[in-house]
Amino acid sequence: MDSKLKETILNPIFKGNPITVLVLGICSSLAVTVELKGALVMALSVTIVTGLSSFVCSLIRKTIPNRVRIIIQLVVVALMVILVDQFLKSFESTYPLDKQLSVYVGLIITNCIVMGRIEAYALGNKPIPSLLDGLANGVGYGMILIIVAFIRELLGSGTLFGFPVLKAIGYTNNGLVILPPMALIILGCIIWIQRSIQKDLQEK
Amino acid sequence: MNTNSNTYTVIYTTVVCVLVAAILAFVSQSLKPSQEANEKAETISQILTAAQFGEKEDWQSKGNAKTLAFYKENAAEAIIINSKGEKVGELDINSSSIYNVSQLKAENYNIKGAGEPQLPVYIFKNGVSVFPVYGAGLWGPVWGYIALQEDLKTIAGAYFDHASETPGLGGKIKDDPEFRAQFAGKSIDFADEAVFSIVKGGAPEGKVNAIDAITGATMTSNGLDAAINTWISAYKTYINKNQAE
Amino acid sequence: MEYISLFVKSIFVDNMIFAYFLGMCSYLAVSKNVKTANGLGIAVVAMLLITLPVNYLLNRYVLTAGAFAWLGEGFADVDLSFLSFIIFIAVIAAFTQVVEMVVEKFLPTLYDSLGIYLPLIAVNCAILGGSLFMQQKDFVNVGESAVYALGSGIGWWLAIVALAAIREKLSYSNVPAGLKGTGIAFITVGLMGIAFMAFMGISF
Repeated sequence: MDSKLKETILNPIFKGNPITVLVLGICSSLAVTVELKGALVMALSVTIVTGLSSFVCSLIRKTIPNRVRIIIQLVVVALMVILVDQFLKSFESTYPLDKQLSVYVGLIITNCIVMGRIEAYALGNKPIPSLLDGLANGVGYGMILIIVAFIRELLGSGTLFGFPVLKAIGYTNNGLVILPPMALIILGCIIWIQRSIQKDLQEK
Repeated sequence: MNTNSNTYTVIYTTVVCVLVAAILAFVSQSLKPSQEANEKAETISQILTAAQFGEKEDWQSKGNAKTLAFYKENAAEAIIINSKGEKVGELDINSSSIYNVSQLKAENYNIKGAGEPQLPVYIFKNGVSVFPVYGAGLWGPVWGYIALQEDLKTIAGAYFDHASETPGLGGKIKDDPEFRAQFAGKSIDFADEAVFSIVKGGAPEGKVNAIDAITGATMTSNGLDAAINTWISAYKTYINKNQAE
Repeated sequence: MEYISLFVKSIFVDNMIFAYFLGMCSYLAVSKNVKTANGLGIAVVAMLLITLPVNYLLNRYVLTAGAFAWLGEGFADVDLSFLSFIIFIAVIAAFTQVVEMVVEKFLPTLYDSLGIYLPLIAVNCAILGGSLFMQQKDFVNVGESAVYALGSGIGWWLAIVALAAIREKLSYSNVPAGLKGTGIAFITVGLMGIAFMAFMGISF
C-alpha cells in the first residue's frame, strides 16, 4: 500500500480524529452512548453511511451541477441513511436497537462528518480512496463513541454489553453517569488526555 | 458539457430524485414483510409480559419464533367484541393475528364516538384476559396492556409503551419495573367514580383500584390514567357479563 | 394552557442541547463570543419556525400510512413513510436557500450579520431533529407544531448565548493546556446540562 493511502486511512483514526480533533458529528452521537450495544450499532451505521456516500458522491462528482451541489449530496446521504434504517428495522436482532436509537438513526443525515468528508475529500478524489477515507472517518468516530459508551455502561449500570461485570465486587451503580450531560464531561476528559499526549493539538 | 445551465440542473435533479425514490420504494417494499413480523412479535411479547409470562427483554432475546410459538401454545382465544360486549369476530391465534398500534389508535377514535368500536380481548388458557389501552401522554401516544385474572376483577399485570415521553420521567411507564409492579394484585372497580386511578402524590392507603403516579411526570401519568379509564370502560359490558358467570 | 405547557417544556425540559445534544457541531464552533452566538441562535429559531410546520403538513397529508385515502380506495394502502427523512431534509435544504436569497435581497444588514451561518443551518441537526421529533410526537394541529418549533428554537438560542457568555469569561481564566478550547467547552456544557436537569420537575 502506498504511503498516501495509508495516511488517508490512519489520519482520521488518531491524529485527525473527527470527534476529538475536528469536533464534528457530536450532534447525534452522544445520546446513544448509554449502552455499548447501541453505540456499536450507531458506529457501524455511521461508518457504512460515510463510506458509501463518499463513494457515490465521488463517482458522480464531475456531473453534479454546482448550484444544487449541497442538495444532491444531502439526497445521496439521505438515501444511504434510509437504507441503513430499513435494514436495521427488518432484522430480528437489530429491530429493538433501531427502536431504541429512534430519531438518532435519521440524524446521521446531518452528522457533520458525513457532509464534511464529502465536501473536503470525496469531491476532489477518486472513488476508491474516497470510500476508504469515509470508512476510516467512520471508524475514528465509532472508536470514540465506543470508549464513551464503555465508561458510561461500566460505571452507570455496572455491565458491559448487558453482562453484569462490577456486581461481583460490590459496586454500587452511579446513576449520574447515565444522565446525558455526563457524556459531554467524559468526552471533555478524553480530549484532555489526547491533547496532553499530542501537545501540538493544544489550543492557545 | 455545461453543468451549470438551467436545463442540465433541472434534468439532473429530476433524474437523481426519481432514481433515489425508485431504489427506496423497491427496498422498502421487499423488506416490509420482515419489518411487520418484527413489529408483531414485539406486540405479542408486550401482551405476554402483561399476562405475567416472563419479561419482555427475555422474549426479545429468545427471538420472534419462540415468542410466537409460546403465544400459540398458551392462548385460548382472541376475540373481537363490540360496545355491547357481544363477540363479533375472532383473531386467528395460529397466525398470531393481533391488533397493532395503529389499529389501537383507530379504535381509540371509535371509542370516543367516531364509529362503532371493535375491540380485541386476548384470553389465555390459564384464565387471564389481556385488554389493550391507548391514549395521549405528554408528547405523543402511550399505549399498553392490562391483564385481568379469571375473575375479571383482579389485575394480574400490565405493560406500557410510549412513542416519545421524556426518558427518566414519563419514560418510566415503560422502563421502571417498579411502576408496573404496582398493578399486580390491584383491581378494577366499576362502582367507583373512576375504574382505576393513578394518583399524583400517592394513592390513598387501602384503596384497591389506585396506584402512585410517577413523580415529575404528571402529564404522562394523567394520560395513562385517562387511557386506562376510557378503554376499560369501553369493555364494561363485556367484563360485567363475564364476571357474573 | 396546553400551548404554554408545551412551550415551557420544549424550552427547559426537552432542551435540544442539554437533553438531546442536537446541533452540537455549530453550537461548539460558533459559541466563542455572544454576538455571533446570538446571530446563529436567531437563525435557528427562524428556520425551525418555517420548516417544522411545513414538514408537519407534509407528514400528515403525504407521508403517513393511508394519507392518500381521500383519493379513493386504491390509494388507502399507500405508505410513503420510508421517504420521510429525504423529504424533511429536502424541505430544510430548499428553505435554507430560499431564506438566504430573500434575506440577502431585502434585509442586507441582517444578511451581513447572519450570512455565513445560514448555509450551516441546512446541516444543523437541531432543525432536522425538530422535524423527526415532531413526527414521533403526534401533534394534533399545525399550531402545536409551531409552538414546539418556537420553544425548542428558543431553548437552543438560550443555550448557545449562555455558553458564549461563559466562554468569553473563560478566556481570562487559567485553564490546563490540554483542556483549553474544546475540552473545557465540553465540560462546561456538561455542567450546564446538569444544572438544566433541575427544570425536569416542572409540571403544569
